[in-house]
Amino acid sequence: MSATINIPIFLQAFAGDKDSHQEEGQTVGEALANLCQRYPEMKRLLFDKQGKLFSYIGIYLNGTDAYPDELAKPVKDGDVIHVLMLIAGG
Amino acid sequence: MLREEELQRYARQIMIRGIGVEGQEKLKKARVVIVGSGGLGSPIAIYLAAAGVGTIRIIDQDTVDLSNLNRQVLHWQKDIGRRKVDSAAEKLGQLNHDVVIDPIAETIDASNIGRLAAGFDLIVDATDNLETRFLLNAAAFQQKVPFIHGAVRGFEGRVTTIVPGQTACLRCIYRGPLPQEKTPVIGVTPAVVGCLQATEAIKYIVGVGQLLTNQLLVYDGLKMRFTTLMIRRDPNCPQCGQAGEVKT
Repeated sequence: MSATINIPIFLQAFAGDKDSHQEEGQTVGEALANLCQRYPEMKRLLFDKQGKLFSYIGIYLNGTDAYPDELAKPVKDGDVIHVLMLIAGG
Repeated sequence: MLREEELQRYARQIMIRGIGVEGQEKLKKARVVIVGSGGLGSPIAIYLAAAGVGTIRIIDQDTVDLSNLNRQVLHWQKDIGRRKVDSAAEKLGQLNHDVVIDPIAETIDASNIGRLAAGFDLIVDATDNLETRFLLNAAAFQQKVPFIHGAVRGFEGRVTTIVPGQTACLRCIYRGPLPQEKTPVIGVTPAVVGCLQATEAIKYIVGVGQLLTNQLLVYDGLKMRFTTLMIRRDPNCPQCGQAGEVKT
């Protein structure tokens, strides 16, 4: 299965300066793992040492919040995953 | 009842279907609290005052610094060192002398937020940190009034409107602490996001259009793209979930 992963501005610098990537995977977790394999810095920014998503990372699958168990959500061809890093500036 | 001068001042917005004289009177009666008078708070306050929101309480304990001036457009070079609420009240009073500006130079914390938000119809988030935002989120539940959230970083922005008891709340989407950082920002980003928040406030007060509830609007200024993502109430949310409300 191939999904599009959209990357927010801040994280694009660590993902080849691209705002979206096409990744294979049966689940959101697998698609993100493939992204992180190509861009290892992304792993440090998205996941803690136990491999859990940081609480300030939001995952949206086809435009809807995928929380909870975001990584286990199945993906199908054409799905769109939005990765959001939550922000708090004002 | 609007005076002749008010009918003239607001003539162009009274023409809008859905506002009219009735909507303008609602704006005049409205009481809005804006927490923060910086990058977001400046455009929010300017446009709510210009629209004729009757009472605007602005809360900010900070003073104007040179490094604020790239984005905090209520504050000018001559204001450096002044309390932001005084600087803001002066400009807003000059913009619209019919609006009551209520400047409060206090640091928001759990002990005073209930008092400072009591009696207002709406809370608008113009803060720069997550801790205060959580306090405002909780205060909105306590006061049973909507809470309009906005946040910025660089060229990115986010907006959502929270109606306590009906929609997802801030804690449904912000589930933990953010990394500490000095936030990079260019002034046009809070200008866009603050205007969106002010639009939500006006729509809520007048009762027109659809609010940005259960949705997170994501603004990407570099691509000039707006994306709307659907958010949901989290059953385990510490604020609005089944576990019960967080008290302020």
